[in-house]
Amino acid sequence: MSPEQAAHRISVEGLFKDFKIYTQPQDRLIELLLGKPRHEVFHVLSDISFAVPSGKSLGIIGVNGAGKSTLLKLLVGTLQPTGGNISLRGQVAALLELGAGFHPEFTGRKNIFLNASLLGVPDENIEQLEADIIEFSELDYFIDRPVKTYSSGMYVRLAFSIATMVRPDILVIDEALSVGDMAFQKKCVQRMNEFREQQKTMVFCSHSMFHVQELCDTAIWLDQGRIREMGDSDKVVGHYEDYCSNKKVYHSIREDIPEELKQANADSEGEGKGEGGVQDCKINSLSVKSPEGNELTSIPALSDIVLEMEIEVLVDGMEGNFGFAFMKSAEEPIASFLTTGVDDIEKGPFRKGDKITVALTVKNMAMRVGEFYVLGGLADKSGLLWYETKFSKLKHIDANKGVGPLIMHSEWSVKPPS
Amino acid sequence: MTISLLRQWILTPISNYRLFHNFTKQDFFGQFAASIGGFLWLFLTPVVQIITYAFVFRFVFGIRGPEEFGETSFVIFMVIGYMPWFAFADAVSKSPGLLLEKAPLITKVMFPTQIIPVVGTLVPYLTHGIGFGVLLFYLAVTGYLSWQWLWLPLIFFFQFLFTMGLVAILSALCVFLRDLQQLVGLLVFIWFFLTPIVYPIGMIDSASIQLLFLFNPMHSFVNIYREVILLDHLPLINLQIIVPVSLLSYLGGGWFYMRIKHAFGDVL
Repeated sequence: MSPEQAAHRISVEGLFKDFKIYTQPQDRLIELLLGKPRHEVFHVLSDISFAVPSGKSLGIIGVNGAGKSTLLKLLVGTLQPTGGNISLRGQVAALLELGAGFHPEFTGRKNIFLNASLLGVPDENIEQLEADIIEFSELDYFIDRPVKTYSSGMYVRLAFSIATMVRPDILVIDEALSVGDMAFQKKCVQRMNEFREQQKTMVFCSHSMFHVQELCDTAIWLDQGRIREMGDSDKVVGHYEDYCSNKKVYHSIREDIPEELKQANADSEGEGKGEGGVQDCKINSLSVKSPEGNELTSIPALSDIVLEMEIEVLVDGMEGNFGFAFMKSAEEPIASFLTTGVDDIEKGPFRKGDKITVALTVKNMAMRVGEFYVLGGLADKSGLLWYETKFSKLKHIDANKGVGPLIMHSEWSVKPPS
Repeated sequence: MTISLLRQWILTPISNYRLFHNFTKQDFFGQFAASIGGFLWLFLTPVVQIITYAFVFRFVFGIRGPEEFGETSFVIFMVIGYMPWFAFADAVSKSPGLLLEKAPLITKVMFPTQIIPVVGTLVPYLTHGIGFGVLLFYLAVTGYLSWQWLWLPLIFFFQFLFTMGLVAILSALCVFLRDLQQLVGLLVFIWFFLTPIVYPIGMIDSASIQLLFLFNPMHSFVNIYREVILLDHLPLINLQIIVPVSLLSYLGGGWFYMRIKHAFGDVL
């Protein structure tokens, strides 16, 4: 073994895993007896190779069903690979399921013993660790009550305390941090950071991108059983988040305006009519234009754009504030602009029949990627009560060079040596 | 390959002593956790069953203790067979559920899973072994004790090995064939009546049919217990049967289990 390989705690080469899918349970028996294949093969993982050096931690991310859990099970050894090699050096502790092996009728204290021996703790160490485990889990007097009375947070606290207290060389964790309150999560992160300082190795699978970025040096993005991207965790997480947000918009919007937005429009109209029977005003049109006045559906990054709406006043004496927002969906704003703090514009009162055109120039459009709606609206004087809102059609940012969600107006300078 | 598998199987309780110990403790005490009766059930169940069987077979059917066993009452004759059988039947009936119950553990935690059938056999044998022990104590006090009794622990151990092999096979097979759960219950029921426990074998007229019972290892076990305890005599023919059969079951079952245990994760 070369020194370089020796430094690797975990190395995985050309890993494949297939599941055999049987439509009926008896098919498995018939296949066994007659030797005739009666299953469909489902490739869960294909051609996975990676290595984790001692003291580093690896995050595994991907959408549900990408094969994350299967990969962890293969690492831990509860599943056998169809092809390829896995080698782990050192004692492994796994938290694939919270409190797997807890006996519900027994107290937390009694469960510590079985659980720790499942994790392979040497005989004499469990008694020593018991007090530490109980203290870290913050279970106090609950430790002597049956675990069936525990909340899910208490369950995971005990399980996490045991798994990390046994000081394995390699710790494999699946989604353990998603349960438990913020304070305990913070403790877990601390504990895991201590782990890294002690040159222990971690494999961590989570949907919490924050934790992956925080705790992992490298990350693997699994997509349909293949490695889509591998590298620095910040970068991989960034790309993955991008992909997810795009995908979400793509799926939810069949036409230019999704159902939820239509619904939101309908609701606000309904309310307006409901109150007193007469609307205060109406937004006749909403448009996104270039400074030259051309209507835009796609927007070049860093360009200036003009948001414009025409409002028809329906009652005498209406006054109020105007607003625009970039919205990811009906509920998710990206950026907002309001006139509440702006004094040098005309805010009324207007007379019935007036038509006002409100325009806002947004400079150096800072979104680098993505799609959004523009929301135009009219609020009362305080800016809290909205009379009327209207969504634009879906806009998107033109493709451009660079990474990350944002792009900024910037200037370079390099001073030559004098 | 085969040798190393068998070695792993045989050494399981030793090489994983701590886990083995904790598992056994958990399963043994888990039986009674959160029940008010607790250990009382351990004695209540067999006592009630024995009284019921004794009532039906002794008083309703009028079966008497066989003459070749001398003055012995039918109830004692029956109980000596029934207690060891109960350990066997309990272990075998529970075997199909052993791995299925522990499915989350097997798929999520890496540990030597062969510990499960070992513990799954040991716990019923411990549980009912206590009952059997109490019975033996009673018989010893009432004057049945003899040097031949030294055979009993050994015979009981062979019965344990025989059971463990079956439990290993059944528990592993049941991962793939869930129907076994129902089937095994039925088979144990039939097996009970095909073993001369609640009736003396002498009630069967034909000697050739009596010979057929030698194919039932449980008959041999029961017969050894009875002859050793009641007649101070070790029936060699039965001993010659149970030793090879027990070893074969133990090693064959262990080998089978070790061979297919890697597939559990995929199916569970």
